[in-house]
Amino acid sequence: MEFFERFAVPHPSPMIYASMVAIGLVVIGIVFGITYFKKWGYLWREWFTTVDHKKIGIMYLISALLMLFRGGADAILMRLQLSSPDMEILDAQHYNEIFTTHGVVMIIFMAMPFIFAFMNLVVPLQIGARDVAFPRLNALSFWLFFAGAMLFNISFVVGGSPDAGWTSYFPLAGNDFSTSVGTNYYMIAIQISGIGSLMTGINMITTILKMRAPGMTLMKMPMFTWSAFIANVIIVFAFPVLTIALLMGTTDRLFATNFFTTTNGGMDMLWANFFWVWGHPEVYILILPAFGLYSEIISTFSSRNLYGYKSMVGSMVLISLLSFLVWTHHFFTMGQGALTNSIFSVTTMAIAVPTGVKIFNWLFTMYKGKIRFTVPMLYSIGFIPLFTVGGVTGVMLAMSAADYQFHNTMFLVAHFHNTIIPGVVFAMLAGLTYYWPKFFGFMLNEKIGKWSFWLLSVGFVLAFFPMYITGLDGQARRMYTYSEATGFGPLNLMSFFGAALMAIAFVTIVYNILYSIKNSPRNIGNDPWDARSLEWATHTPVPEYNFARLPQVASSEAYWDAKKNGHKLFTGELKDIHMPNNSGVPFIMGIIFFVAGFSFIFALWVPAVIALIGIFACMALRSFELDHGRHIHVKEIKEIESQYEGGAK
Amino acid sequence: MKELFPAKQVMGLVFSLVLTLVALLVHFTDMSFAVGMTILLVTAFIQAFLQLVVFMHAGESKDGKAIYTNVFYGFIIALVTIFGSLLILIWDM
Amino acid sequence: MKLDHTQPLEYSTDQNQLNILGFWIFLGAEIMLFATLFTSYFIFEGRTGSGPTPAEIFEITPVLIETFVLLTSSFTIGLGVHAMRLGRKNAMLTFFGITLLLGLVFLGVEIYEFMHYYHVGATYQTSGFTAGLLTLLGTHGAHVTLGLFWGLFIILQVKKRGLTPENANKSFIFSLYWHFLDVVWIFIFSFVYLKGMM
Ligand code: HEM
Ligand SMILES: [Cu+2]
Repeated sequence: MEFFERFAVPHPSPMIYASMVAIGLVVIGIVFGITYFKKWGYLWREWFTTVDHKKIGIMYLISALLMLFRGGADAILMRLQLSSPDMEILDAQHYNEIFTTHGVVMIIFMAMPFIFAFMNLVVPLQIGARDVAFPRLNALSFWLFFAGAMLFNISFVVGGSPDAGWTSYFPLAGNDFSTSVGTNYYMIAIQISGIGSLMTGINMITTILKMRAPGMTLMKMPMFTWSAFIANVIIVFAFPVLTIALLMGTTDRLFATNFFTTTNGGMDMLWANFFWVWGHPEVYILILPAFGLYSEIISTFSSRNLYGYKSMVGSMVLISLLSFLVWTHHFFTMGQGALTNSIFSVTTMAIAVPTGVKIFNWLFTMYKGKIRFTVPMLYSIGFIPLFTVGGVTGVMLAMSAADYQFHNTMFLVAHFHNTIIPGVVFAMLAGLTYYWPKFFGFMLNEKIGKWSFWLLSVGFVLAFFPMYITGLDGQARRMYTYSEATGFGPLNLMSFFGAALMAIAFVTIVYNILYSIKNSPRNIGNDPWDARSLEWATHTPVPEYNFARLPQVASSEAYWDAKKNGHKLFTGELKDIHMPNNSGVPFIMGIIFFVAGFSFIFALWVPAVIALIGIFACMALRSFELDHGRHIHVKEIKEIESQYEGGAK
Repeated sequence: MKELFPAKQVMGLVFSLVLTLVALLVHFTDMSFAVGMTILLVTAFIQAFLQLVVFMHAGESKDGKAIYTNVFYGFIIALVTIFGSLLILIWDM
Repeated sequence: MKLDHTQPLEYSTDQNQLNILGFWIFLGAEIMLFATLFTSYFIFEGRTGSGPTPAEIFEITPVLIETFVLLTSSFTIGLGVHAMRLGRKNAMLTFFGITLLLGLVFLGVEIYEFMHYYHVGATYQTSGFTAGLLTLLGTHGAHVTLGLFWGLFIILQVKKRGLTPENANKSFIFSLYWHFLDVVWIFIFSFVYLKGMM
């Protein structure tokens, strides 16, 4: 029995017990359902073993949506707790756990898979490729992300959640102050999914550099592909820093080393330093693909080519470098000298310049365009003013002297939600609506979509703008309650209403998906939005091999050229198409990583060592394996193509 | 036998041995910290570059430009991280 | 599989070229990985707590052996790739074998060095300095260890299946990895040991 005590939650509450029961029931329900409908074989063949970038993209998408709801539940609990003074829905410890998991889930397990979803779904199609450079590695990336996400999400029912904030600063995150296994979960779950992200970075860069369609030079790539390219460059150079920081945090906690301790030469501030050397580039990893999506959407629905293509590319290249030069702005108050703070103040303000260039380019694209107010376009138009407010408050925070006042108040919280929600979340929802028909063969309902947009926008403003005021008045972040005398009550209540509206908006989005599955027409053609780039030039839904013949490209809007200017996209004979084989190994490695991670978290050394050996065995197996892929023959291609042409779908 | 030992690679080895010996001067002779560090920086970076060009054939394929960009980008960010951190945590603390 | 005979075997297919470029990008990430380790080492260099200082524990002899062994192995694997391009399978295997043996010697000396540190009271838990040092050296050593297995697998495959485009590709990529470890060692040698003993 003693052995099992370690898995108990140190700080239980009725809510956690209820969640345990709910999780148990849902798992049983899912397993029973799949067995009852005999779907295991289908799942294994079509999804668990797939190496197809489109299916992997869809799995990322579903995971991201699930995590959005997990993180959203955390958020609404926090807002409820703060909705009026001296609330007692959550105690301090629970509040700590919830703001920690909220942050980690939203950044690492919601936003990251969301951008990976779109990179996977869209990039190979936009460059006219049949898959990514390393399809098997791509599957492994996904399963590592998924293993990390699941590991992190069981923390609150097995052993306790992390509670030191998503930034997990030491010494708070050290063994002395964080005694439960929660912070071990943090270190190891993020490590596992981070390795997956790094591999995606390498994969995508190679794909984009080497697999573009004939004629597509770098400066003829669609803007989303450019943004994905730059984001992946940042991933490749930023994530190793996180890897090492997490490794050191892990050994501090598990093996009593002195990296981030306050004794024996340890330096707690080094964690903060490394965390933000990764952390600031990370926010650009999230926002750049979002910018890319907005570029696609705004140009499609303004029926114009994107204004200032070259300056768009240039500003992103500049951002990729600058994003590594600003990290100190997250800890101006940590005690370094005025010289350092001044340098990093200036670099931080400088990064607002290329961002501003992009805003003007979008405005000029819309100027004189024929704008169609579809749902994706509404999100894009809403994004511009809202995100600008986030950027401007960012520049306020960038002034190091002023930051002594703003730092760690609700003002900061308002700033980064003001950039991330209109910036990243709106982009993801816009992209979801925009690309949905390409992958599922029907459109999402526009009318419900517009409701979601307005609910979300109004909710957002109500929820976060009051925080600028309470923050300036001194309301600290991460405080689980406040007294009535502070006067923060009314504005926090307003925030709660805003949050509730946002929650309703997300429910309407789910409702929209269900409604459209049932009611939307299926005969939408390949190009329902009258769009401009290559992903719309192939069939809907996209066949396994993407393009029967590889497209010929002469500009960044090849499909538009083909539609309007008589450009010939597909020429030449059909040839056999080489495709990679499916493999179960990535999925199995995901499971082994999960077991290894779990064992490390609880310091169970025997299973940990066995699992590590398992991982190396998989790698060795891969080294000896001969796998030449398979061919889809011309006859088969013709059959598939004729099905599309006959309009059978 | 001779074709197995191309002059370029042999020269590469000789050169990197020489650079190592020069670096060792720092240990075996008396010199100021500044001079020593300068020698180390110069020898280390030349050696790294030597490996990259002579042994790793970085520029040989048509992806040579991408490869060099990648490596130099990595080096720049690496130096920024190292010196930035030292500035923040030691020199200006 | 389309073969392009104007290129060395390791570049001869599309997938081979993807693999090589992909691996270079991975090395870019490795540069940052080691840069982070160097950063922490430099920060911790003077933070020895109650433990020993760098100058007190470093010994020049093992470091010299390690350095010359690794430099030579970087040379021999270069010869291995050269032999491979001449189609001289046996010569290539010999050079790869020598490389791995040298790698093994390196690892042996490094283990000796770690035991020495342990005996003079510089363990993983002693201080910020020892943790930073041992993590930097240990990560490099772990890379070498992994390389030994990987190289062995490649030798076995070349033996069994000959110099196919795939095997040539793997061998070439392995050589990149090995050279890279040598580059990292040059920096460790210069900025950990020599600087520490100055
Ligand atoms: C105009 C560009 C921007 C500037 C000048 C800027 C500036 C800043 C500054 C100075 C801070 C630290 C404030 C403090 O801790 O007191 C900060 C925090 C933050 N920013 Fe921004 N920012 C910008 C854009 C963005 C974007 C685009 C995102 C995300 C997509 C973002 C996400 C964040 C996050 C997540 C934090 C803080 C997280 C935390 O401490 O938990 N920022 N920003
Ligand atoms: Cu930042």
